[in-house]
Amino acid sequence: MNSSNQPILDGVDPEIMDRLVSRRDAIRKGASVSSTVAAGMAMGSVPVLLAALSKDAFAQTPSAILDVLQFAFILENLENEFYKAVLGTSAVSAQNAAFATVRAQIPESARQVFAQIQKHEQQHTDFLGNTAIPLFGGRAPSLSANDFDFTGGNGSGNGPFLQATTQIDHLLLVAQAVEDTGVRAYKGQAGRLLINGDDKADVALESALRIHSVEARHAAKIRRMRRSMSMGDRSLRFSGYVRGGGVAAAGAGNISNPPAGAVAALGLIYGGEDNTVHTVFNGVAAVNIDAATLSGLDLIGDSAAQRDAVTMAFDEPLTKDQVIAIVRGFIKDDAARGLP
Amino acid sequence: MEHEHAGSSTPLVIGEADELMRPATRRQFVQMMGAGGAILMLPGVFSACATTPVPGMGTSGGLMFDLRSDVGIFRLVHTLEQLEAAFYTAVVASPSFTTFFNGAEQELFTDLRNVELVHREFIRTTLGSQAVPDVRGTINGATLSTILSSRENILAASRLFEHLGVSGLNGAGKYIQDARNLLLAGKFVSVEARHAAALRDVAPPAGQNANTAFAGDDIVDQNGMDVKLEAGAVLDRAAATRIVQDGALSSRNITFAPTSRQGKPSADFFPTTP
Repeated sequence: MNSSNQPILDGVDPEIMDRLVSRRDAIRKGASVSSTVAAGMAMGSVPVLLAALSKDAFAQTPSAILDVLQFAFILENLENEFYKAVLGTSAVSAQNAAFATVRAQIPESARQVFAQIQKHEQQHTDFLGNTAIPLFGGRAPSLSANDFDFTGGNGSGNGPFLQATTQIDHLLLVAQAVEDTGVRAYKGQAGRLLINGDDKADVALESALRIHSVEARHAAKIRRMRRSMSMGDRSLRFSGYVRGGGVAAAGAGNISNPPAGAVAALGLIYGGEDNTVHTVFNGVAAVNIDAATLSGLDLIGDSAAQRDAVTMAFDEPLTKDQVIAIVRGFIKDDAARGLP
Repeated sequence: MEHEHAGSSTPLVIGEADELMRPATRRQFVQMMGAGGAILMLPGVFSACATTPVPGMGTSGGLMFDLRSDVGIFRLVHTLEQLEAAFYTAVVASPSFTTFFNGAEQELFTDLRNVELVHREFIRTTLGSQAVPDVRGTINGATLSTILSSRENILAASRLFEHLGVSGLNGAGKYIQDARNLLLAGKFVSVEARHAAALRDVAPPAGQNANTAFAGDDIVDQNGMDVKLEAGAVLDRAAATRIVQDGALSSRNITFAPTSRQGKPSADFFPTTP
């Protein structure tokens, strides 16, 4: 793989080549060929054919979109029910009671922040459940506040984030982690919503992107609140960025004695956020560019400052499997429903 | 508008192979082949055409955007990132920076400058020969001076630029044709959204609740969705700030809108003062 900063025209990603070759085999065996591929084949031009095949090989389907929407619906429910429990407005009194101690520590300014965020999560669940999922012929999964364990204990109520129910600094850390996970989850799924020129897919993709940036606003606000409470913790930025990766990117330095389970979970939630190599497809080849080796950044400062800026400048995705590994402990097992 | 295809010596610029199947383009294609012309598949074979004029530069010298390809969309993003990077560089370098802003705000603006510099250089590198030329020469010095003269002006202009970035990327995603490029746009847009929220937290627009302005009801709609603009509206709103010289940048610079095969425009959502 090419990770130098040569212009994007150099080198074809071997992985892409493999996929193209297998796609070509499929075509040879009589699989249907899209008009784009047909045009490329008729042209007999290698770059045109490569470009056409590559695009076609990544085509998505409506069933993939429905899967994404249902996955998003579960995550939005988790977020929504979490904030309702924090605010004391959950339909399940035990969830409200669990957060009673920390609720008494929440100042009015922060309560308004939580209420605004919760309103958005409710709007997201309503849109996904009532509009987007039915648009693709599906039904929203059945979920209630009873299905969640916000301590991350998978139903025990005694998971690694139990302290969030009694200490506001822990509560804000969990809220930030929930929001950043949401940002990463949507980012990772966006490509599965891409069917150019399909009106319904356009609705799904544009809605997901617009929800995704709202989640980023939430995360940035909570990071700013946490920094204001712990001014010396410069890993939490007033700009709301995620700096670096892994546990360090959580800005958990002001949390006293975090349980090992919480540290491990934060490692998953922020794992890979310090990636600096990003892929661009130019119509012919996929090229990896390492942003840590860009020139023209001297104004930022020394190499450490430049690297910090480079990690802040790109928010990274999580795959569906990675997200499930993170949220598994927050959703009670249910054989009938299955895991998300 | 369609002056890119004006002369037979100009290579035919296409975003997708199947554009060749459209009668108008195919006719052009046949004519060009007869005249010894070249096909330029964006941006793939650009290095083979060393004598080609700088792509996207119109006859008037203005910036031109062909949004029928991912390259065209990223060229527009590159333009906005250049303006943002130049603006924040000027803010941080301004003699009044440390008097207008406290320590926390200085950290915020310095991070913004640094991150926009990274975005600018990254996109410039990815676009290679297709990169947008340096736009700093088009910046309107009088407008910039006025903005830099007060804390309120700097914050209002910053909020507008960041919200143009968020709304533009949210609106352009559906036109992007490759999932890897869509992911790259996604990596940018959530970072821009973090900027936007932080700036509104520092300085809420008039009439907004200071505690909820970071994602206030004026910028998040009743479905919980963020601002969104089509590309032409992004350019026109940027032009309306007069941060660039009159005529240098507007929706008229879009020579080709995205095709219906890429996607269809949707309703915009953007307040007068984000």
